[in-house]
Amino acid sequence: MSKTILAVDDSGSLRQMLSFSLKAAGYGVIEAVDGEDGLNKAKQQKVDLVLTDQNMPGMDGLSLIKALRAMKNYQNVPILMLTTESGDDMKALGKAAGASGWLVKPFDPARLTEVIKKLIG
Amino acid sequence: MIPHEAPPGELMNVQVVRLLSGVSVHGDQHLAEVERDLVQMDVLLNEAIKKLCTSFMAIHHAVDRQQEALNNLLADSMPATEYAARFETLRGEINLHVDAAVTGLQFQDMTSQLIGRMIQHLAGLRNVFGALDTNGTVLPESGNEALLAMLNHISDRVGAHCTELAGGVRSTVNQRHMNSGDIELF
Repeated sequence: MSKTILAVDDSGSLRQMLSFSLKAAGYGVIEAVDGEDGLNKAKQQKVDLVLTDQNMPGMDGLSLIKALRAMKNYQNVPILMLTTESGDDMKALGKAAGASGWLVKPFDPARLTEVIKKLIG
Repeated sequence: MIPHEAPPGELMNVQVVRLLSGVSVHGDQHLAEVERDLVQMDVLLNEAIKKLCTSFMAIHHAVDRQQEALNNLLADSMPATEYAARFETLRGEINLHVDAAVTGLQFQDMTSQLIGRMIQHLAGLRNVFGALDTNGTVLPESGNEALLAMLNHISDRVGAHCTELAGGVRSTVNQRHMNSGDIELF
């Protein structure tokens, strides 16, 4: 059975590219348009990995990570931040919130899937 | 028109009021034009990326189907090993181009964030220009007290808007190229 990834980003084109790349690598993908949508979808169905943007209207990526880490069944699920932000201060905030890793946009599909394979197979 | 016989104090008061109103009105007009163009640019980029993504997906699916047909053809006719190797190389090349296209097609996520930030700054600057407006203030014919009071008032308003502008919008995009970004696992 293929692993499922929750992709959270307010940019439609970014979600489309993420979904395309991850499906091509054999993963199932659930898309969410912002942190709140992502949280709702994560509650409806347990996923194997979460990929989230930081800057989104409403609930941002850091808040989503904190909310997910507060849920029992998401304490050990890898959560990767995929964002335009590359500053060390933001990375430190992400790490403190419970992110498993930090990926700076734009992503290269081969490198992205390599990292995901390392985390969830 | 400023009457030639007006006393120097009055002349200066009128000129200051006219100057401030002129800067306020014209500054705002130009910024409004820039804002309109940015919004239009954002709309065009948005539409362009949608079309590019749709075309990209269509091309990719077509290439996939073509590849499938070729594979079937090759399997049926039991081709020479060199043909199979050639097709495998081509498949690798296509995949590299597809990955590069996926990276490139992410530009709109960044440009829209940058445009959004510019629009927020423009709105802040328009507030600054608005604060320069004298709102039809009529100063007394002589004396500097009223002029100074008005300038102080305007200065305070401008200062408040400038502070708002400086602390308002954090920069979130520092990319200067479209190569893939850093990856760090914690």
